[in-house]
Amino acid sequence: MNKSYYTCLFGGEAGYGVMSAGSIIAKGANRSGLWSFVVNEYPSLIQGGLNSCLVRLSNKPITAYEETIDFLGLFSQQAFDCYADKLSPSAIVLYDAATTKIDATKVPEGTLLCPVALASSIPKGGAKIMINSAMLGAFAAFTGYPKQVLIDVMKTEFHNEKVQQENIQILDEVYHLVMETLSSSKVFPFPFEPKAEPKMLINGNEAISIAAIKAGCKFSAGYPMTPGSSVLSYLADHGAEYGLVFKQAEDEIAAINMLIGASFAGTRAIGSTSGGGFALMVEALGFAAQAEIPLVMVNAQRGGPSTGLPTRTAQADLNFVVHASQGEFPRIVLAPGDIEECFYETFRIFNLADTYQVPCIILTDKFLADSSVSQLPFATDSLTIERGKLFEAKEQPYLRYENTPDGVSARAIPGQVGGRHIATSYTHGEDGFYSSGNKEYALNEPMVTINSMDKLYNKLPAMEKEIPAIKFYGPPNADLTIIAWGSTKGAILEAMELAASQNISVNFLQILYISPFPITATELVLQQAKKTLLIEGNKTAQLGSILRANTGHKTDYTFLKYNSRAFLPSEILAKIKEVLF
Amino acid sequence: MAAHDINLPYVPTWCAGCGDYGIFMALKKAMTSLNLDLEQTVLATGIGCSSKIGQYMNTYRIETLHGRSLPVATGVKLANHNLTVIAEGGDGDGMGLGMGHFVHTARRNIDITYFIHNNQIYGLTKGQSSPTSDLGAVTKFTPAPLGNVEHPINIVKMALNVGATFVARAFVGNSTQLVSLMEQAISHPGFAVIDILQPCVSFNHTNTYQWYQQRAKPIEEMEGYDPADLEKALIFAGLWGEQIPIGLYYQTLRPTFQDSLPQLSHQPLAQQKIDNIDITGLMQKLY
Repeated sequence: MNKSYYTCLFGGEAGYGVMSAGSIIAKGANRSGLWSFVVNEYPSLIQGGLNSCLVRLSNKPITAYEETIDFLGLFSQQAFDCYADKLSPSAIVLYDAATTKIDATKVPEGTLLCPVALASSIPKGGAKIMINSAMLGAFAAFTGYPKQVLIDVMKTEFHNEKVQQENIQILDEVYHLVMETLSSSKVFPFPFEPKAEPKMLINGNEAISIAAIKAGCKFSAGYPMTPGSSVLSYLADHGAEYGLVFKQAEDEIAAINMLIGASFAGTRAIGSTSGGGFALMVEALGFAAQAEIPLVMVNAQRGGPSTGLPTRTAQADLNFVVHASQGEFPRIVLAPGDIEECFYETFRIFNLADTYQVPCIILTDKFLADSSVSQLPFATDSLTIERGKLFEAKEQPYLRYENTPDGVSARAIPGQVGGRHIATSYTHGEDGFYSSGNKEYALNEPMVTINSMDKLYNKLPAMEKEIPAIKFYGPPNADLTIIAWGSTKGAILEAMELAASQNISVNFLQILYISPFPITATELVLQQAKKTLLIEGNKTAQLGSILRANTGHKTDYTFLKYNSRAFLPSEILAKIKEVLF
Repeated sequence: MAAHDINLPYVPTWCAGCGDYGIFMALKKAMTSLNLDLEQTVLATGIGCSSKIGQYMNTYRIETLHGRSLPVATGVKLANHNLTVIAEGGDGDGMGLGMGHFVHTARRNIDITYFIHNNQIYGLTKGQSSPTSDLGAVTKFTPAPLGNVEHPINIVKMALNVGATFVARAFVGNSTQLVSLMEQAISHPGFAVIDILQPCVSFNHTNTYQWYQQRAKPIEEMEGYDPADLEKALIFAGLWGEQIPIGLYYQTLRPTFQDSLPQLSHQPLAQQKIDNIDITGLMQKLY
């Protein structure tokens, strides 16, 4: 079988270990020279429903996924009903006839239907989650994926020796059971390299969390909200080891105010939430801006409006995040598109927050936050901490908000001798003082207001210069320029590869930092563009409106997807062809 | 430290006769007599007349948003638990928008002192009802003849019920006691609350100096007083009428939130070195 990708999908109710089956396969592949991309889909339920874990494997790096399934492992009827029409030709469907009835007319011709007694392979008293070990045993037998690779992963995944042994035994038994009845159908297309350099299996939220730890973040506060929470739980898990405190707050309003308090007191801090939680935090976002207190927030987008779709993906908070809060002030909005950007740009944004003393928002989405991919270890040698302008005791008298040419003034940290000041949410003068009842202040109020607003905006030129705001991929003179932001990046890059193999010439402008908007860099690309296609995961082309407001450019075509699922390379390729031909 | 070290060259903008002056003076006295290091002290305030106090005191100050002084103070304290952290605000600030934060800050017993300037009215927005306004109080938003029809919040009862470990009520007209209570509250390891009765001379013409003067009675002179007994404290807290007990209602010691965190056992978070943090182990866990 000659394939460049092999895709397995496990589907069933929560509780059967659907996702852990997928991650064991992906980790095994990662340790053996292959690359993987793992997409979890799950409803907002604790039990039941349909969970699925799609594992796409290849012998080269993968940036996206397709729903063409080569191996479908079923733990429930609903999983069959939902995924039967996504099977690729000659796919294998593994199921337990006791739980799942297969309607052969609903699968493509040539599909191999393989009933295996999975449930009955669990010893009496065993947990139903062990069924996934039976599934993995059958998977290895049918596909030729090395059984020992799976066992080796299990040995590091299961810390309880007894649980580990029981699961390995079930895997082994089912493997042999299937092998006895099987003539030969080893279809797994890639060779394994036992001595390959190991890769991480990592999702966007893990990359952000690890970057925060590397950046010296010592405090986090938050309130759980999918898909932002896993940053918080990661930091809670590793806090003790790294001297970091995570505080679960009573609500998002408390959380962001705690972050502001900690940052005021000199500690790097990060919060993470989704759109609904971010909505509650907006009040304090402006406070951080007005008081010029560094703040780093993650908004992992999910569907909306309101509670929307808690566990599904969307890119519909862009306008909200870019404009959130009353009044006006500069902020940094980063939209990482892949795991490397989640890591390196998160590290950078802590430096930017300290350097410019502005609120910084990392805007991801469920797809990026939650999908795991193969990733070589991050290179950390060149990462350096920059704390920005800090007050030194000799500078007296000290003005916390001193007007400087670049708008940035030195921060004093509580506890520092000679640095006493007020940080306030009110419009204030250079010493931080506000009071319209004070005669001197009242007389100067219009000027104080102008100066304080100009001070905030005086930071922009340096910010614009320093922030690596766009990325550009593909040939400069392509027939079509795709413009996009965030997690659509992977699918676009793969679609471009497909296009190139068909001699279709496409390039890609990724807007990495959306605020401050990279006007100059974007205009340079747009001047060269022949036709432009905007791709976004929302209904109203939000980047399109920002692009138009900043550059006057209206893209020639738009491709918007807002069905709660991520873009697929195949559908982007189809759109490219539609636009060009 | 001398009292004048705390002063800034600004004249407060409170109305003549406002209770906030008394609280301001008392706080300065308490801080002076405790000899607090002003560079190691953070005053976090909310929004309102009460919260202007931060504009006039030469410590580190953070004037937050309406009702948000406690979570900001919590962040400050966790970032640097060596700091003395005092939060301050009004009855509207603390019991309206800030109520959720108040409840949770009390139950987590973090070492923050919280002074509530309670004048039973919204002053800075010019006379609306507050969560502590008496039943029947006529205000801009609760006009005659009905007046306020919502039951007022009793701050002391509230604090006792949600786990504050130092709970007092003071009257700004009894300055000696107020200063002493403030000293005790700041020295108390844990979440300390003082409900400070304070007239608003402009908008609350019912709860005046005279009104409080006639009712405020030192709690220690009352029969059965025992500040170690929570049940008794709750009974005294129920007295709000002809007699209003002022003084220390209740004090107990239990582990503070920050003392329960092993991460804070050595040095404050803000003082940790952050160059060259090794994340190799975290990456290897993902292999």
